[in-house]
Amino acid sequence: MPTMEFEGKTYEVDEEGYLMDWSLWAEGIAGEMAKQDSLELTDAHWDVIRFLREYFEKYQIAPMIKILTKELAKKYGKEKGNTKYLYELYPAGPAKQACRYAGLPKPTGCV
Amino acid sequence: MADFKVPELTGEIITPKVTLGATSGIKPFPANEELMGKVGFPAKKSADWKVKFLAKMGEILKKYKSVRVFLDICVRCGACTDKCHYYLSTGDPRNMPVYRQELMRSVYRKYFTTSGKLFGNLAAARELSDELLEEWITYFYQCSECRRCSVFCPYGIDTAEITMAAREILDSIGIGSKYNLAIINKAETIGNNLGMGGPALRNTLDFVEEEIQEKTGVDVKLPLDVEGADILLVTPSADFFAEPHIFSLEGYAKVFHQAGVSWTLSSHASEGGNFGMFIGNYDHMKTINGRIWKAARDLKVKRVIAGECGHAWRVLYSFSNTLHGPFDFLDPNYRVPQHICDYTLDLVKKGAIKLDKAANDDFSVTFHDSCNVARASRIGNEPGGQFTIPRELINAACNKFVDMAEETIGERTFCCGGGGGVLTDELIEVRVKGAMPRMQALKRVKDSNGVNFFALICAICKAQFTKIFPYYGIEMEEVGGIHQLVGNAIVLGAKEGV
Amino acid sequence: MWAISILKHQSDEIKKGAFMNGLSSVFNLLAYIAAAVFVLGFLNKVVLYFKTPSPLKIPTTPAPKTSMGVVVRLIPEVLFFRSLLKGGAAEKILWLGGWVFHVSFLLIILRHLRFFTYPVPGFVMSFQQIGIWAGLVFPLALLILIVRRFLNDRLVTITLFADYFVLGLIITIGLTGLLLKYFARTNLVDVKAFILGLLTLSPVQIPDSPMFLIHFSLVLILLVYFPFSKLMHAWGILISPTRAQVDNPQEVRHVTPWAQ
Repeated sequence: MPTMEFEGKTYEVDEEGYLMDWSLWAEGIAGEMAKQDSLELTDAHWDVIRFLREYFEKYQIAPMIKILTKELAKKYGKEKGNTKYLYELYPAGPAKQACRYAGLPKPTGCV
Repeated sequence: MADFKVPELTGEIITPKVTLGATSGIKPFPANEELMGKVGFPAKKSADWKVKFLAKMGEILKKYKSVRVFLDICVRCGACTDKCHYYLSTGDPRNMPVYRQELMRSVYRKYFTTSGKLFGNLAAARELSDELLEEWITYFYQCSECRRCSVFCPYGIDTAEITMAAREILDSIGIGSKYNLAIINKAETIGNNLGMGGPALRNTLDFVEEEIQEKTGVDVKLPLDVEGADILLVTPSADFFAEPHIFSLEGYAKVFHQAGVSWTLSSHASEGGNFGMFIGNYDHMKTINGRIWKAARDLKVKRVIAGECGHAWRVLYSFSNTLHGPFDFLDPNYRVPQHICDYTLDLVKKGAIKLDKAANDDFSVTFHDSCNVARASRIGNEPGGQFTIPRELINAACNKFVDMAEETIGERTFCCGGGGGVLTDELIEVRVKGAMPRMQALKRVKDSNGVNFFALICAICKAQFTKIFPYYGIEMEEVGGIHQLVGNAIVLGAKEGV
Repeated sequence: MWAISILKHQSDEIKKGAFMNGLSSVFNLLAYIAAAVFVLGFLNKVVLYFKTPSPLKIPTTPAPKTSMGVVVRLIPEVLFFRSLLKGGAAEKILWLGGWVFHVSFLLIILRHLRFFTYPVPGFVMSFQQIGIWAGLVFPLALLILIVRRFLNDRLVTITLFADYFVLGLIITIGLTGLLLKYFARTNLVDVKAFILGLLTLSPVQIPDSPMFLIHFSLVLILLVYFPFSKLMHAWGILISPTRAQVDNPQEVRHVTPWAQ
């Protein structure tokens, strides 16, 4: 089982680097993952991560992208409330990158 | 973007030279012991795996005429060798259908035929080994079970049947695909492939209702678990989650709304897809399919309609009646189940809904026949309805439609490259490359007709193309469902003359 | 002196007679064994395929909705290799070689019926001339089928020893047949007597012709090989579930014993 190190602790991750147990997540883990991808986390990045965590805690699944982009629109205006902006924030895709940083399992299915 | 070479878009599909081992390193992630246990397979490969392997293979040979006959009668004529999208795009000979099958046929000769037992190597019989197992894991997960080879085979030999059997054998000795088995587990325990529970589903549907309200000002409902509704809609769960899938969901809802019928979704059966088929496991396929008919009984609906999903439609159309029929508790005046395109087109023809084609004037549309719809099922009453009905519906919803080259559509359609349980990121290289033949055909109509809307009726195709279009330099927004077009064009509000 | 030479000749004749009698016994026996292996082996496969269920409806669609429709679908598959014609240039060559091979083989067999019948029926007589032409075309068609396996890298990859073996076997049968017809001519009355002897279960001496022995032996090998090989496609094409199933899963519930 692959692992990742953070502040002296070892976390189990899957083949693609998603945390095996989402409840063990700490904010610093997102920062560490971003650092490895050479990505700097801005407030907008953190808003996405926090929203994903909140939604997941409530529904045990990540929200669909549309719900996420609408949330962004509320805060940053219509021109940023779209999938394109989300991909600007997370170039590898919201599911692949944002969910991973947020410590959530990767959404799978026909998606 | 990619650490492999993305095929160049030239508009031409050229058969490559044979390149041994071109994709030999590309394998699915294995399911871990916990997951294997959850779906009822041995946790891992044991020391006596060969015994289990041959026992399962022997069982399949007794249970499936297709596998038995196909293993016997192939004459290696080679007609299939340049028909698989994975061979055409990689040149790996194991992606030639006949040579993929040879992985199983050689074992069959060794252990199940007189000539193989007597003559061994001379009869091309192969002993079980770890090396052979690795080849099985690799190449039986580089087949999307699309059946294109079967169309050109003089005996209709269908590699999908062999691939399904191979995956079933691998699972039975403790070697499973994480992607496929995780999805099966979620479909069986939660009700859909995504693992979206009832509350999340309701939240999503509320959101879609709000969206429609904002965009159209009309109060279109997406009912969930409504007992006594006339129609149960079974759709791939991606329709509740991903783009562009969600736009088709809006389309279905608008159609039902405008037709004035009572309908419902089910949280128990919030999935049309059935990955039990992809791994060739009869019991899982039956279990997953069973949730739909239980929901139909529990909700006391009269009809079941299937949303835009390719392999779901195959299981629903071709297998449901065998798995859980007869459906005498449903209204016999309607097909059980009925395809959403068939349903909508019928409403259009009857004048029960009106489509304003001009609403889609920004689009020049082409249609991709999804393999499981094209080659493994039928829509409507007549053979070939799976080709004509979606096209008629598109033409009713927009002004500009053009078909791709004839040898790449209809029964000869090319797979999206992500079907059959291959739609997972560790296989991205074969997915991107496997889409090549389809992309070349698309390139031609883009050049000649400015096509900018790639219409689909399959959730896997939608997810696959959304993902791989950017590799080919095409915007992912160009992918969409037929009911996305219908949803754009449908005239909501009071009906004229009613 | 001449008396001795006559005696020697007579003893040679006797030796040869004994040899031919022995050889005839062996070949008569082998012929019966080969025929039995062919018939029983073939039937065994037919029964095995019949008894193996198709749990699900898997016709490659679009497919006919009725059994009659399936017959209509299969006729051009069997007679004209229809699916092969859907392919590209390589399949056109394969089609040509394959179709001409199968048809000429059929005509040759029909022509050979004159050795199996007495009196020879009129329809068999009508195949005599065309049967000769077929015999000439037959090896050419097989040559196409052999040569193509060397010219294309995909075919080189997939071709097995068994494929060359059976092509080689059949072309040799054809060529020895032509040699018998044009160069190493055999007494046809003897051949017919031999075959009719086999058929009427009253075996007689095998024709005294090495070429005939070779030709006949190869045919026996082909008969024995047939049921255990890919040649079973001859039956498989009729029962392949993707082609022979009716597309009516919604109208008729398809059920097999193990899969309910």
